[in-house]
Amino acid sequence: MIAAPAQSTTEIKTWAPEMAAVAGSRDRECFLRIYDHFMPRLCRYLGGLGAADGVAEDLAQEVLLKLWNRADLYDPARSSLGTWLYRVARNMHIDRVRREHIWVHAHEVVEQAAEEADGGGSLAERHTEHVRLKQRLDELSATQARLIRMSYFEAKTHAEIATELHMPLGTVKSHIRRAFLQLQSLMGESR
Amino acid sequence: MNPRHHLDPTTVLGFATGTLAPEMSVVAAAHLEACAYCREQLRAAERVGGLLLEQQLPPPGAEDRQAALRQTMLTRLDAAPVEDGMRGQAAVRVAPGHDPDQLPAALAPHFGTSYRSLKWRWMAPGVHCIRAAAHPSLIMLKIAPGKCLPMHSHGSSELTQILRGAYDDSLGHFAPGDVADLDSQVEHQPVTTPGVACICVSALDAPLVFSGWFARKLQQVFKL
Repeated sequence: MIAAPAQSTTEIKTWAPEMAAVAGSRDRECFLRIYDHFMPRLCRYLGGLGAADGVAEDLAQEVLLKLWNRADLYDPARSSLGTWLYRVARNMHIDRVRREHIWVHAHEVVEQAAEEADGGGSLAERHTEHVRLKQRLDELSATQARLIRMSYFEAKTHAEIATELHMPLGTVKSHIRRAFLQLQSLMGESR
Repeated sequence: MNPRHHLDPTTVLGFATGTLAPEMSVVAAAHLEACAYCREQLRAAERVGGLLLEQQLPPPGAEDRQAALRQTMLTRLDAAPVEDGMRGQAAVRVAPGHDPDQLPAALAPHFGTSYRSLKWRWMAPGVHCIRAAAHPSLIMLKIAPGKCLPMHSHGSSELTQILRGAYDDSLGHFAPGDVADLDSQVEHQPVTTPGVACICVSALDAPLVFSGWFARKLQQVFKL
């Protein structure tokens, strides 16, 4: 299952004060609190994508160094810090390990369009979304949870998942489609 | 531009996780640039990624290693701030959406920045194309107005963003901004709307040479 057992993620932390302190006064203590929380998680994520241990560690350091140098880019009203770091780590892996510039450009274009055109929302909205999404994630069926996990944390294409699990591609896609809609329907209720 | 045909949730997820075929990511990006609804879907998919990241358990027994890495990081913080190589690259969009001759920014590395400077190649009567140099399964198509294309499926997923003109098939009316996100089972027979040529960008989720395959299909029908 996706949910980490006995993990105290019920308590949802925003990290907004720490990030403000890093951006405003390069506060090391705040940075290290963020670092200690996310560094092992980023190593796990990047390792899961297939980067060798040393490479995953180097990339995770780069991701957090970017946070240190560019904390001003983070807007807590737009996304949680976990989501921001997920995006930075994903993009850095595509850029430095896969070296697929075609992808890096695609993500940049979309992020720029979002910055120009899409509103942010509020911290309270982000928090409600986060709580609801977490509940919903815990409620996915074992199969849905496994497929979602393979998509995000092993970066497997839907075709690769189908081969590995001996499932028809259409079935994999419909499971993933349903899981995603289920996760979202609940997020939508917060509006 | 207010698109009515959107990306399939599995395509949005593939974009968020970086697992779509690279050529399809270009077409998806061209749609996402134009579609606030799909951008909201993408944000939702990225939120799932963020939450899963937070829920990762640190590997057991890695404390010493983490302490060493922390020490390395501390020394790096002392160094002068360095450019991380990702800054400054983002200036890829120029005056978005104002100049009608401007191609979507997502297409710029592959097809240039303006419709006017596109170098179309003849493919079949009423059909012109341009293949992305480094990515043969990424292609732009220009289909004359009022043209009926042969009934076909693709043997793989196909993603098509409509840029100009329009077409109709059994799935509906596809106008600028709309995306046709078709899986390999779908057979369709697009008929372009009279008046303006239909320009679209298309990618296949397979290492096929799109134009070769498509040209053969057209050749069978038009008996070239």
